[in-house]
Amino acid sequence: MVFDTIIVGGGPAAVAAGVYAARKQMKAMLVADQIGGQSVVSDGIANWIGDILIPGPELAKKLKDHLESYKEDISLSLQDTVTSIERDGDMFLVKTKKDVYKTKTVIVTTGGRHRKLGVPGEDDFNGKGVAYCATCDAPFFRDKDVAVVGGGNSGLESVVDLLPYAKKVYLLARRDELRGDPITQKIVRDSGKVEILYKTNTLKISGSAMVESLLYEDKEANEEKELAVQGVFVEIGTVPNSSLCKGLVDLNDREEIIVDHRTFSTSMNGIYAAGDVTDELYKQNNIAVGDAIKATLSAYEYVKKFGN
Amino acid sequence: MNITVYSTPSCGYCKMEKEFLLEKGVEFKEIDISESQEAATQMVEKTGQMGVPVTMIEREDGTEEVVVGFDQEKLTKLLSL
Repeated sequence: MVFDTIIVGGGPAAVAAGVYAARKQMKAMLVADQIGGQSVVSDGIANWIGDILIPGPELAKKLKDHLESYKEDISLSLQDTVTSIERDGDMFLVKTKKDVYKTKTVIVTTGGRHRKLGVPGEDDFNGKGVAYCATCDAPFFRDKDVAVVGGGNSGLESVVDLLPYAKKVYLLARRDELRGDPITQKIVRDSGKVEILYKTNTLKISGSAMVESLLYEDKEANEEKELAVQGVFVEIGTVPNSSLCKGLVDLNDREEIIVDHRTFSTSMNGIYAAGDVTDELYKQNNIAVGDAIKATLSAYEYVKKFGN
Repeated sequence: MNITVYSTPSCGYCKMEKEFLLEKGVEFKEIDISESQEAATQMVEKTGQMGVPVTMIEREDGTEEVVVGFDQEKLTKLLSL
């Protein structure tokens, strides 16, 4: 059996592609570990159009229900992961943990993930003081001193999540200013609990069983300084999940898949991409959905002409 | 077999894991670590983890398994779902 398209990913873009492919009666399959996307960790999404405020897990459930309502029309391989995509003549071989499939097109909607600091100690202390979700893990840091790395919106929001629990919060920014929204900056500054450190570069996280300190470079003073903290929250943006496509399609210097923003085709005929894995300027749920639909309709047109 | 899910109310992956277990008909005890410092300390001592969700599986023969994060694959395997 040859598929018309295989959708890789489980976020809003993937689900949108799945619904449209099913409605177009394409022979389609969606491969994902789980349905939800990055917003699953969000306490409340306020800009998902059609819902005034929706918790991340609830959005994930709605997406899953919508996709599963088409289960007669689209194959779903969940709790599965694509391990490679290879060119095979004018088609593609998609290998997953469970099987290998042949397809005419691939729609890559693998999204993004938390950017890591990449410093010694970060992986060793993951879950042992190093954390990437303040809304989830803030209660562990009651009466403790913690550091939040990142001066953007997600860094500031993590500080706000920690305020009811932590004794003191150090906010480490790379620049000489904060980039996050002024409304959140004000909450952080007025709290009396937060010390903002500018022009910093995190160097190392240390401890024994759990995190005990963070070493950083003070670029202004040009010296290394140590903070005694029991927690380090890393909020320095996202990286695209594009490693699957390396060598197959063109990526930009940020490792994002370069797409044609009219058709969402990539540099390889038959491979389409949408959402946070691409060079789309705005990483947004609503935008990922629209982009994925364009990618799917383009793939549909491509399949119609296939072999002629 | 005793299954305990440590969670916080605002943790998305905790909600997804609980939903997953309910869907599969798995009975489990839930401990919301945001409710008391004691519960949080107890979880850290028992599991060596400072993040949720963490699932503790205690078998009749006394052996224990700790699942860190919402790891569907590991849960499916350990609980033979």
